[in-house]
Amino acid sequence: MKHKKAHKNIKVLLSFLILAGLWSCERDDICASTTPTTPHLIIRFYNINASGETQTARHLSVIEEDSDTYLVYDKTIDSLVLPLRLDALDNLNTSRFVLTKDTDYDLDEDPNTVSNSDIIEINYTPELIYVSRACGYKSVFNDASATRETDPSNWIIGIEVINSTINNEDAAHINIYH
Amino acid sequence: MKMQRISIFTIKLIILMVLPLTSFAQEDPEIQEIQEIQEKNVNDTIIVKQKYGLRLGGDIGKLVRSFIDEDYKGFEISGDYRLTRKLYLAGELGIEERTIRNDYLDVTANGSYFKAGIDYNMYGNWLDMENLIYTGLRVGASTFSQNLNSYKIYTTDQYYPPFSSLDSQDFKGLSAIWIELVIGVKAEVLTNLFVGFDVQLKGMIAEDQPSNLENLYVPGFNRTFDSGRFGFGFGYNVSYLIPIFKKNKKIPVEN
Repeated sequence: MKHKKAHKNIKVLLSFLILAGLWSCERDDICASTTPTTPHLIIRFYNINASGETQTARHLSVIEEDSDTYLVYDKTIDSLVLPLRLDALDNLNTSRFVLTKDTDYDLDEDPNTVSNSDIIEINYTPELIYVSRACGYKSVFNDASATRETDPSNWIIGIEVINSTINNEDAAHINIYH
Repeated sequence: MKMQRISIFTIKLIILMVLPLTSFAQEDPEIQEIQEIQEKNVNDTIIVKQKYGLRLGGDIGKLVRSFIDEDYKGFEISGDYRLTRKLYLAGELGIEERTIRNDYLDVTANGSYFKAGIDYNMYGNWLDMENLIYTGLRVGASTFSQNLNSYKIYTTDQYYPPFSSLDSQDFKGLSAIWIELVIGVKAEVLTNLFVGFDVQLKGMIAEDQPSNLENLYVPGFNRTFDSGRFGFGFGYNVSYLIPIFKKNKKIPVEN
């Protein structure tokens, strides 16, 4: 009888271990795309004349000032999702974007129509946050502020930070009025 | 010589596997009754000497891995003391250094640990043989440090060059405590020399986490999992029994 009991015990233990072994097959070494990592900056465009009404920016192109790759090219949209520069943690970092409206006007033959470029500057303090084994670290951006450079013909009339802590992509962080 | 040892070991392992089957066949209640009667009759029992003492050994698997895996260094010594026919007091003492790296993290865990508990031999041996198929319970504790060697911030956006850091950061004075369920075998391959294999299922009770990081590996506990507090380990041991005294074991004669 004792033997039988011992055998039962062994069987229970072995199945335990096999079950536990299967557990170890889970893929926690790949960063799942659903895991929130370093967030983008989300900007929404509003109509300056009608409060609370979004308004698309016509044929918009966006490029980071020092870069030569367009983030957005010739799209009529009412919101932007932009990556922020990260040069130093826990210090003030700056991203400058050139927002060009009416991109198509540069492409057509008509000399009377031209595009209009405005520069916006975003300042923020990146903070390092541990996510997981597979994803490692992400950065969030605190104390965000935004300005628009004044030029003789600005199409952007106002810029307002509505969420100064950029730690998710659930809602807009900055509103642009035009 | 080596071949001979291996063949002896193989034969013993086969015996270990086959033996439970033969003993199964004897579990008819009537036979058991007869056995009980026989046990009362001193003339019908064989008395064999069983060795009691301290068994000391080392983990060969960890030693070998230290040489072939550049991200691992470790060694473990183990010991057990026989309390009764089936019960052993058992423990392990070890050090481990393990580096875990991927594209975004490079962390080295370094520390020492000990485990203490019991082993229970579930195997009824033949005559004077003293092999073990055992299950055990341990409480393990570890003190360790985590060194963040480097990291690269994870981002889904490739627009800017990634931000990475090579500034090493050390988190010292961390500790952890866990329990283990052990199952293993130990076979006596030469007089007093044992070779064994065991697997461990672990459950973390408490651990210190480094700030803004987590324990990816805990010395003694092995790697951790995102899903919870469970862990696994295995060992491959060679040990030597230092006999201290002998005790009689009564075996009923079957015919």
